[in-house]
This record gives sequence, C-alpha cells and structure tokens, in this order.
Amino acid sequence: MSHDRARTDGSVPALELRGISKRYGPVVACDAVDLTVERGEVHGLLGENGAGKSTLMKVLMGLVSPDAGEIHRDGARVEVHTPQQAAGHGLGMVHQHFSLIEPLTVWENVALGEPGRIDRDAVCADVEAVGARYGLTIDPTARVERLSAGERQRVELIKALRRDPKVLVLDEPTSVLTIAESAALFEVLRTSVAAEGRGVILISHKLAEITAATDVVTVLRRGRLAFHCRTADTSAPELARRMVGRDVSLQAEGAALGLVVTDDPAKHLSPVLAGGLSAVPAEPPAPQAPADVPGTAALALHGLRLAGPDGRVLLDSLDLEVATGEIVALYGVEGNGQATLGDLLSGLIAPDAGEVHVAGRPVALDRPGALHEAGVGVIPEDRHRSGVVLDMSVADNLVMTDLRRYSGRLLMRRAKIRAQAEELVERFAIRTPSIDAPLRTLSGGNQQRVVLARELSAEPTVLVAAQPTHGLDVGAIEDMFARLREAAASGVAVLLISTELEEVMALASRIAVISSGRITGVLDVADASPQRLGMLVGGEAA
Amino acid sequence: MWLDDGGTVLSSALRLTAPLAFAACGEYLAERAGTLNISVEGMMLSGAFGAVAVGSATGSPTVGLVAGAVVGLLVALVHANLSHRIQINTFVVGLVINTLVLGLTSFLLQTMEFSRTQVGMLRIPGLADIPLVGVLFEQRWPFYLLLLVVPLTWFLVNRTRWGLELRAVGENPQAADVTGIKVNLRRRQALMWCGVMSGLGGAYLSVGLVGSFNNNMTAGRGFIVIAAVIFGAWRLKGTLLGCFLFGAADALRLALPSLGVELNPQLLVAAPYLLALTVMVLMARSQREPRALSKPFERGLV
Amino acid sequence: MTAPARRPLASYVVGNAGLRRPSADAWRTAGITVVCVLVACALAALLVAISGGSPTEVVDALVTGSVADSAGWSQTLVNAAPLLLVALGACIANRAGVFNIGQEGQLLIGAMLGCFVALRLQGPGWMVITVALVAAAAGGGAWSGISAAMYYTRGTNVVVTTLLLTFIAAQVVQFAVNSPSLLQETGIGNGPARPQSDAVPEYLRLASFGQYPDLTIGVGVILAVVATVVLAVLIARSRWGFRLNMLGLNPMAARHAGIRASRLGGSALVLSGAFAGLAGGVILLGTVFRLQPAISNNFGWDGLLVALVARSRPGLALPVAVLFGGLRAGSSYLAATGVPDYLVDVVQALLVLAFVVPPVLSALWGRRIRNRSAVPDTPARPSAAPAKEEVPV
Repeated sequence: MSHDRARTDGSVPALELRGISKRYGPVVACDAVDLTVERGEVHGLLGENGAGKSTLMKVLMGLVSPDAGEIHRDGARVEVHTPQQAAGHGLGMVHQHFSLIEPLTVWENVALGEPGRIDRDAVCADVEAVGARYGLTIDPTARVERLSAGERQRVELIKALRRDPKVLVLDEPTSVLTIAESAALFEVLRTSVAAEGRGVILISHKLAEITAATDVVTVLRRGRLAFHCRTADTSAPELARRMVGRDVSLQAEGAALGLVVTDDPAKHLSPVLAGGLSAVPAEPPAPQAPADVPGTAALALHGLRLAGPDGRVLLDSLDLEVATGEIVALYGVEGNGQATLGDLLSGLIAPDAGEVHVAGRPVALDRPGALHEAGVGVIPEDRHRSGVVLDMSVADNLVMTDLRRYSGRLLMRRAKIRAQAEELVERFAIRTPSIDAPLRTLSGGNQQRVVLARELSAEPTVLVAAQPTHGLDVGAIEDMFARLREAAASGVAVLLISTELEEVMALASRIAVISSGRITGVLDVADASPQRLGMLVGGEAA
Repeated sequence: MWLDDGGTVLSSALRLTAPLAFAACGEYLAERAGTLNISVEGMMLSGAFGAVAVGSATGSPTVGLVAGAVVGLLVALVHANLSHRIQINTFVVGLVINTLVLGLTSFLLQTMEFSRTQVGMLRIPGLADIPLVGVLFEQRWPFYLLLLVVPLTWFLVNRTRWGLELRAVGENPQAADVTGIKVNLRRRQALMWCGVMSGLGGAYLSVGLVGSFNNNMTAGRGFIVIAAVIFGAWRLKGTLLGCFLFGAADALRLALPSLGVELNPQLLVAAPYLLALTVMVLMARSQREPRALSKPFERGLV
Repeated sequence: MTAPARRPLASYVVGNAGLRRPSADAWRTAGITVVCVLVACALAALLVAISGGSPTEVVDALVTGSVADSAGWSQTLVNAAPLLLVALGACIANRAGVFNIGQEGQLLIGAMLGCFVALRLQGPGWMVITVALVAAAAGGGAWSGISAAMYYTRGTNVVVTTLLLTFIAAQVVQFAVNSPSLLQETGIGNGPARPQSDAVPEYLRLASFGQYPDLTIGVGVILAVVATVVLAVLIARSRWGFRLNMLGLNPMAARHAGIRASRLGGSALVLSGAFAGLAGGVILLGTVFRLQPAISNNFGWDGLLVALVARSRPGLALPVAVLFGGLRAGSSYLAATGVPDYLVDVVQALLVLAFVVPPVLSALWGRRIRNRSAVPDTPARPSAAPAKEEVPV
C-alpha cells in the first residue's frame, strides 16, 4: 500500500486516509480502506457502482462519519465531521451533479457554503483572479441558469479552487463534457493544479480517462482496497480485472467497464487521453445484421423541434430512422437533447414541430399513450421518474401501460394481472419476494428488469433504451446488453440513447451523433472512430 | 372637502395596511426559503390574542406587543418542527394550526376576562400637519417599527449570507445541501422570523388598532398576506405595495357608506383575493416563484 | 449511486398515504398513535381544567349529546353526513395528487346553487330535490373547476387557488343574500330583510326515516354511506381507481401509461368540489333550510380534516366522520358544564395531529432501526437480499 512506500525525500503526503471503515447494518460500505495522495499528484479512484468510492469521499467531505479510521492532512491527524470542517482543512470537491443554484449569479454560488460575511466585490475579484490563473474565464455577475454545461463546470472548479484546497476531489467530472472539453479539463488539472502542489483525486468509471489522466490509481472492490499502483505500471485490462475481481472478456464486458474496443485507440484518441491507452487488444466489432430493408423504417423521426420554457432550443430539426432488427445508437454528451428526445418518445412531452412515424404511420404525439399503442416501448433514462411507480406492487407495475387489456368495463381483472405478472417475473428472472411486493423493495437491477419486461411484453415494433445501464453493476449490464441484442434479433428496431462511447460501439450497427439538439452525423460502426465521433459530438462535421 | 375625506381614507388605509405589512415581511422571507406558510393566519391570530392577554395582565400594551411576537414565534416553532423536522406536509400542518389557534383563542377568550389595553399614538409635530400625507405621521407608535422591520427584512434576504443561503434553499435545496447548508434548519429559521413578524402584525391589530381581542379577529388577513406576496411576485417592494392596495380596499369598504358612494362592498372584500388570483394566472410562467416553494426536502431524495 | 428508493416522508400524509406500507411499521405506528391520542386527550383535559370545568362532566356532556341515546345518535349522524361527503371528495383529490383545501367555499357555492334551484324551480318534490342536489354538486364542482383550469393551463398552485377562492365564495354568497333580486328573503311584515334566503318549503326538505326520540336517519346520511361504499370499491378495484393512484404516486409514469393528467387530475379536483357542493346541498335541504352566509359552519374545513385522519381512504373516513360528527353533536351539550364549546374545535385539531404525526414518526424510527441492522440497496451485490430502504447519508 502506498503509505508503506519508502519516503526517501522525507516529504509528508498531502492526504492520508487510514483504515476508514463504514458499515450500514451488516453491510460494509468501506472496510479499512487506506488512501494516500501526494502533493502534486493526480490520483485515480476506480470502482464499480457501490464499490465504496462515494462513501469514502463522503467520509472525507464530512457528509458521513466513519465507524473507524483516521484522516491525516500534511501528516497531522484532523477531524472532519462537517463540510465546513472539510473546507477548513483544505479539502475541496467538485460534485458529479452540479451543486449550483441556477437562479443565483456566479459570484453568489461561489460564495455559498462559506462562513462569514459576504463581500460581493471581493468574491467577484476572486472569481476573476482564479479564472485568470487557471484559464477558466467567466463573468462573475452572470446568472448560472444562462451558462452552458462546460461553463458551469468552470464555476464549480473556481468555487473549489478559490478556497485554495490542498486536496481537490472531482467526482465523475467529464460526464457532461465533450471529449475536447474533457481534455481541456485534464490539462488544467495537470498543468496548474497538480503543478501547484495540490493533490487531486479523480473519481471515474471510465478506464480510458483514468489511464490517461492520472499518476497513481487505486481500485476499490466491495468496500475494500483491491489494487493500488502507479498508472504507468498498469494497463486498462488489468484495471478492469481488478475492478470486477475476475478476468474480463473484452468484447462482452469491456464496454460495460468503459474500454474502447478499437483497432488502435492511440491513433484516434485525443492526445491527452491517448497516453494511457495502449494495451487494449484489437478485436473486430461484433457482427450485426443491419436489416436495411428498403421502404418504411420501423421508427422515423422527422424534423423534430422543441424549445424549452425559457426559449432555449432543445431539439432542432432532428431526423433519424431506425430499421427493423437494427440497433441504432444516439450518442452524444449529456445535456444535448437526449433527455428531451427520451421524454418525447416516452410520450411525456409533445414537440413544437415534426413527426414521429412508427412502421410508416404517423403518431398523434399530443395524446398520452399514443406512442405506446403505436408500438414504441421505452426504457426511460430515469426509471424512478417515469418508468415505475415505486409504491405500487410489482404486478401493478408490470401491467400499468396496458390497463385496458387487464380490466373489464369498470373493474380490474385481478386474476389476469396476476397470471401475467407471474409469467413475466419467471421469463425475465425478476428477483422479488412476491408479485405483490411494492416495487420500492426491489434492487435497482430488478426494477430495471420490471420495466424491460413490461415494455417487451407489449411486443413493440420499436424499443427505445435511454441510458439503460446507468447505475447497474456489471452483471446487470451484461444481462441488459444480451436482452437488447435479443430484441433486435427478433425484429425489434432498437434506438439506444447513450452517452457511453463504449456501450455505443459494442451494441450498435449505426451511430447517430447528437449535439445541441441536432444530428451532426450518422456513421456505420465500422467507420466510427472515437476521433470522428468526438468531432461530431463537438458539433463539427466529420 | 375631498382632501379631508382623502386624508381620512388614507389614514385608515395605512392603519389597515400595517398589520398586513408586518406579517408580509415574515411571509415573504419564509417563502423565499421555500415554505408557502398558510399558518401565517394562525400566527397572526395567536399574536393578537397573546398581546391582549399579556397586555391586560401586565397593564402594559408594550409588553403585550412583545408577547404577541413571542406567541407568534411559538406557533412558528410548532409549524417548523412538524414540517421541516419530521416532514409532515406543510399545508396539512398549516391547516391544523389554523384550526387549533382559532379554536384555542376562542375558547380562552370565553374563559378569561381582559381589560382594555392599547398602545399610544405618536404624532410627529410639523410633519403631521401637512395635508393628506400628514396622516403618515400620526399613528400608533408601533407603526413606525415598520421603518425598521421592512429595511431589515430586505437587508437580511438580499445582503446577508443568511439570506443568500435562504434563497439557495428556496431555489434548489439539493444543491444547497451538498454545498454544506443545513436546508431544513434554514427553513425553520425563516419560519421563525415569519412567526415573530406575523405575531407582531397580529399584536398591532389588537393592542395597536382595536385595544381588545375578539373572536377570529384576523378574519383571513393572513391569507391576504399570502395573496400580497404572490401579488408582489416574491419581491419585497411588490409585496408591500400589495399590502397597501389590499389595506386601501378595506379602508374604502368602510368609508364608502359615509362618503355616499355606491360600490359593492362584497367586491371590495373579495378584491385582494381576486387580484391575487389574476396575478397568479398572468404571472404563472414568469419564473419569479422560488423553484422549491412548498417542496419538502429530505436528503437523498431527488 | 443509483437514485435511492426511499419514500418521501411527506407522502405519508397527503397523496395516497399508506397505500402499501411495510407491515413491520404498522404496529409501531399504531402504538405511537395511541400515545399521541392520549396526549391529545390530556391536553384537552388540561384546557377544561383551566376553564374551571370538570373533565368528567365534559366527557359526560359530550357522550350525552352524541351517543348516549338514539336522539344523540341522530344528531351525530346528521353532523357526520356532510363531513363524510366532504371527506370523500378530499380523498379523491388527495389520491390524484392535487391537494384541494377549498372545500369550505365549494360547499357554500353548492348550497347557494341548491337554494336557488329549490326556491325557483317548480315541479314535483322529488324532482326539485334531485335537481337541487345535482345543482349543488355542479356548483361545488364548478368552483373547484376554476382551480383545476388555472392549474392545468397556467400551472398555478392548487392549494393557494382553492384557498383564495374560498374567500371569494363567501363574498359571492354574501352578495346573493344581500341582493333582493337574487336570494335575499322577501321581508315579512315591516322588519328589514335580513341577509339570508327564504326558507325552503316543507315538501322540498330531505326526508328522514324514524321519528324523534327514536333514531332518525336522513336521506343525507344514506347518500353519504352509499357514496362511501361505491367510492371505496372504485378506488380499490376499478381501472379509474388504479389510474387515480398511479397519477398521484407518479404523474410522469402515469403520463407514459397514457393518462392525461389534465383530464384525470382535473376531473378529480372537480369531483372533490362536487362532493363538497353536495354536502352543501344536503346541509341546506336537510338541516338549515335557508341559505345563510354561515351555513357552511366549518363543515368544509372539518371534512378535510376527516380525510387527513383517514389518510385518504374512504372506508376509514366513515368512522372518522362519525367521530367528528359526534363531537359536533356533543358540543351543544357543553353549555351546561360552563366549558365553551370551542373545546371541540381544539380537540378535533389535536386529534388530527395525533393521527397525522405517528406514521411519519414511525417511518423515521423504522429507518433508524433499519440503518443499524438491515442491508442497504447496493446494486454491486446482486446476491444480497433486496433491502427495504436505501442507506441515507
């Protein structure tokens, strides 16, 4: 472990976590985890969902108090029980989902969460000074709601850096950034932050990012420290193995873990990312059967246009076709209209203009349920938001989109519902104590299976899967991949909306890239390279 | 002649505005922190009662005034802990508190004897002699507390760190929480300010204007305050303007018969509510409303 | 981490509260409820003591007026019927996730329209009564329909609009009973006309079965009980009830499943107003017989409280309405004890708290207990038993 490493220069690490343990009941979220971050070091923290990364960082930030363990800063033991204490000890964090208050201005957001009086002029000056130092220019008096995702990221960074943190934690910082913006971010981290002697902890589930941007990497698995090594001495496949705890077949599972499977990644990736990616073996993409049947596509989107309540364009003349039996991926950086399109295809919102055709017939988009009746099944991005009703039973959740089939003129047909539910639970291997259990009591993966079972049981023409693997563990991800391929093989047109390059490359036969609400290009997977996709994602023609 | 009548109506409008204005300062601040507080009615009513009870017992209406604010604070503490500690729906809490306060004050009024207790007038020489606006300077002395309370409320919300945190909590409690702000604590504190201000408003009504307490004395004034905050689009200036408009409508209703003007009194009583509804419909999409208004916050829930 | 599956505490009170609750919590909830009710009773006794009365005498008076004999029961039921009707409406709205608190005003408008029909429409008694009751329901429904329209077209807050409309309704009724051309009474003799309507003629009053001092049961009571049974079945078993619950629990999922919120939620709001309006009609034709500004007599507010105590379940609303009706009936016997009858209002409010607080407290405690002993819902461990709740942090 790192703190065993001989210290020839006699320096003290910027941060040392020793034996951090946190249990929730009988479950150990963190089991005696050690972590050492040197000054000027970018330290990657890698692990699956639930491996303990979040808990560890919450302990560090004073949001969770550990059962055991010590935190040392510059060699001295410190107590961190509140976020304020964490800040006082020079610990700063950039959260995955921005912690910015949209209606407030940049400077107000930057000042938020500190003690003491507010001095508007001083904060504004600070924002400009910090921005100038790190190349993160921003107008301190602008309202955050008017800023782009990249600019908001800047505000978060400025907010953290203004407090002059000795250790800066970034939690999945690139999820809303384009590849170019990500590269710029890592550039800032590398050249300014690390060079100024700060320690940086970079949490990510993207192996490519970790191998490219970090000096040292720590892998957590099931709450324990699974692996620790200098990044230069390891490889992406090894990290993947350490993360999962067994050998990983790159073709089947690599995508689930964030491995780009291409012939020569170093050639395609941006320079910053390319550094660490060298050991991924080449394998051809899985053979797909793009059923290019001439004539009508199973799903056709024509000129979809939609503006938000504030007048911002969310979808801009979006055109896309998906043929029967084909998996088409809609790839892009989070926040470029995917969520809007997902909502639209779930029937939650109607477009200002444009049409959706299913099997050649137009669908009345302003009528709730019309898309479902026309044969569009949807696995929504946020299943808790629109996919399920947590306080209703598994059985009710399995039939709720087809109530007419399960009711008479007035009353529900309970026996029919139960029969259907029993069958689907069996067929989709949904693990539940009973079909009458509230859906809330199921694990995330099983809730997702309930959604999938319901949508597929309606025998849809089209299946829209929006970020279907978000928050699932590797086993559930593999299962989801298999079911999507199976659906396509049985003749369903699958539209996969995803921000994960690896997922897209592994599943789709064609990749459409969305940027600022419009399709910037459609590539066959054989022609797609991260570089070309990256350019399209940035809004350039490739 | 019209100047005299105008002065009388204006004077009565100001007197009727003051209790609203006190409570509105509180409700404005509570709503900015995300609580649509319908128990402002109960807070005012309990403040009015507490002021008379204590004022009559001690013989000092000034002590009564302070007591009114304290009683309002106590009601606010109950509301705050029920809705922002153990997370019972704030409207349910508000409804129950209003029912409880109305029943309790009516009950106690019948079981106790109160003597008359009223604070004194404060006339500012010279200024009070100016025609028409002179009435501004001839009021019960707590009226002038508004000169302190209104700027203070504005300052608290817009210039202090506390106010910044209140606004953050009212707009996006999840983000505020991650930033290290104690969301429900801030909301409770905002409600307490609302309790003090509403109690003061109620006390001004009883020991200031009337000198005694009667059954259901506030008669829906708390809801007019809510209407005023909506009318003012969650800005203090507009809110106070709303209070004055609604106070003036009330004054007109009382003055019209003696002025010999025929105007439907029911319409005037309903005017504040009608205006507020109209404003709600017109402004619905203006996005001035705090985004997390009346949305409860629990850590870990989106 | 995945979004937690923890249930919002606020949902334990409004909006399908307790639709399906883990039964482990049920016993704890019941225990806390008993404690809370005892505390409420103790507080009430304290109040009685303050006022110089005797708690036993008060209980005696309340019982005498409500359930001691069949006359008392008759009074209890007469009071319970409008409370129950209002509460049924509130159950519908709460389940659909639209919180209507303007029943007092909807009830007034209902009574006004019912009165208008009863005094102006000529025809056989049964027909006029039916039309009057339908008009009352329509009036209440229209009044809450204003809020529904404002909500679904402009997104205004339903709680606020229904509340504000209550005060406007009071003024509308004031106007009606102060305008000779509308409903003000035609002065008898030379006295000035008072602000109330003429009395509804005898043959238009709701029939009741039984004769004083035996138990009498009015048509209003029968109406309310039938409505309760029908509504309970519909909510539990019908497609409409399924959709209503779905809309209230997750409007987004409901829309995905083809439910138009403006139609189903809007009609739920209108229906809740209609029940309040019907209650107004029943009060008018069953007990008061003329429109007065005070005819609503807090039945709207108290009916809403009944629904809150019953956690939006029609079946539970029935006994709660009888309890509240009994308190009202008993309050008229309090005068003899020297304790103001406002005591009953206080007791009602305390009772609501005693029933509303325990489920939430129980959930909080349950969460704490589980945190110490149970398995969190971590997707990384598919082998782990599915946990009831996410680990809060």
